[in-house]
Amino acid sequence: MSLEVKHVTYIYQKGSPAENHALQDICLKIDEGEFLGIVGHTGSGKSTLIQHLNGLLKPSEGEILVDGVDINQKESRAKLKELRMQVGLVFQYPEYQLFEETVENDIAFGPRSLGLSEQEIKERVQHTMELLNLDYENFRNKSPFELSGGEKRKVAIAGVLAMQPKYLILDEPTAGLDPRGRQEFLELIAMLHRQGMTIVMVSHSMDDIARYAQKMIVMEHGQIKLSGTPQEVFSHPVELEQIGVGVPTLTKLLLRLKERGFHVRTDLFNVNEVKKEILTALSERKGDTTC
Amino acid sequence: MLKDITIGQYLPGHSFLHSLDPRTKIIAVLIYMISLFVVNNFFGLGFMLLLSFVVVLTSQIPVKFFFRGIKAIIFIVSLTVILQMFMTPGEIMWQFGIFKITKEGIHQAIFMGTRLILLVSVTSILTLTTTPISLTDGIEHLLKPFQRFGVPAHELAMMMTIALRFIPTLIEETEKIMKAQAARGADFESGNLVQRAKAMIPLLVPLFLNAVKRADELAMAMEARCYHGGENRTRLKALQYTKRDYVAAVLCIGMVAGAFTSRFI
Ligand SMILES: Nc1ncnc2c1ncn2[C@@H]1O[C@H](COP(=O)(O)OP(=O)(O)O)[C@@H](O)[C@H]1O
Ligand SMILES: [Mg+2]
Repeated sequence: MSLEVKHVTYIYQKGSPAENHALQDICLKIDEGEFLGIVGHTGSGKSTLIQHLNGLLKPSEGEILVDGVDINQKESRAKLKELRMQVGLVFQYPEYQLFEETVENDIAFGPRSLGLSEQEIKERVQHTMELLNLDYENFRNKSPFELSGGEKRKVAIAGVLAMQPKYLILDEPTAGLDPRGRQEFLELIAMLHRQGMTIVMVSHSMDDIARYAQKMIVMEHGQIKLSGTPQEVFSHPVELEQIGVGVPTLTKLLLRLKERGFHVRTDLFNVNEVKKEILTALSERKGDTTC
Repeated sequence: MLKDITIGQYLPGHSFLHSLDPRTKIIAVLIYMISLFVVNNFFGLGFMLLLSFVVVLTSQIPVKFFFRGIKAIIFIVSLTVILQMFMTPGEIMWQFGIFKITKEGIHQAIFMGTRLILLVSVTSILTLTTTPISLTDGIEHLLKPFQRFGVPAHELAMMMTIALRFIPTLIEETEKIMKAQAARGADFESGNLVQRAKAMIPLLVPLFLNAVKRADELAMAMEARCYHGGENRTRLKALQYTKRDYVAAVLCIGMVAGAFTSRFI
């Protein structure tokens, strides 16, 4: 069971003078249960890539396999709705999609379009809201437009989660949130991942990717420039700097210390581990006065 | 798919037409339209057709753009042609029950069809060779004399500029919201008329809300920069007639003269 992107090329406005090769020969495999981070400069093709995964965009060349089935074949196109139930996609600034009169109805939109029973819909909405720390009784009859920014985003994400997708894809889910909101969302995503959901997250924060992702890809000009575990990818700081994405704050710190002659590992992303590493390195150099 | 809309599209270029003053082009198009309805025989129509070919060639714009424009109005043209053909009274050429085609009808159908196509093609040359900004600038200038009769020239032009500016934004946003709702299982393509109309709600509500919000923000931003209408406002790029515009004016006079003369052939 996996999401597979095979030699996918995508061209916006094909045939016009403004033709734009947004993706070029992308190959990628996301196994079930994995947490994949996608990073890259603005315009590098991240959003274009993820819109292929649930069939919103059709590759100009190449194919997309979901659980081994090519989703752009004729028979599969007819079952797009089922596919979109399996592969949930949360767009950037999803709060702009809210439209219903009440929070409950908005979250129910997805499940309802799947043709579930009212009972089942209600259970799913309630379950999803509780998962997101939105009190069901308190919020269900509120208008989504009277909520705070963070709450709106929660409702929007709940609208996708209520379809109970197997794969969850998020395009910069924490953009525009305050630090506490960010943290809350990341914890939530991590929890969904622990519960077995496959996560694909686009992010501009290397810190978040380093902390949560198991694998990552770095995109530039519609191509995958680097891929692997965060340890592997962040061991190429020079390339990352050239691509314009940089490395996590902690990695930056460790790299600086190493430059100054400290014997530290540079592939740690956890604050506590880094602290221990630095203390060890410092105690090694006790008595040395150059620093 | 929404990106195919070509209304008001501008194609950058360096042709004679591109470099004309927008006022000249607007007036020339108006004169052309009038001339189209002045001519009343095939010599005149042929003359106007020839002129439009020359103008299209001068504009250096790929011919496919005109075909696209014509394709968009093909329904209206066919309807006009059919109605003219069957509804015009006169000498009967062919009859089947209540349906009859008259000689006058065919004549009228050819005229109206050609006129419509020429109208659209020449108007699209105007927008294809003029940036929206200079187009509204031109309109504002041309409306100035009517200001004393209460026509709010500057405000009208500003509204047009803003509307044109936001067409691409709205199209982009429509596409984005459609995709986002499709990801939640919305279906915009199948179902009967009622179902389809209903399916538009998840699209229209956010679209309108965002548009209103954006209008609010824009108004605020304009006010913050002390915008207060057209009074005493000067321009960075003042419109200026050049030699080319006088050449164009002479050609327009020739066009009108030609159109009137053709009536007597
Ligand atoms: N709807 C669209 N039409 C035309 N070009 C687009 C569209 N969406 C994105 N692009 C172009 O495709 C490229 C990749 O964009 P995108 O996937 O949005 O990048 P990212 O999400 O990494 O910022 C950019 O050059 C962008 O201008
Ligand atoms: Mg993006």
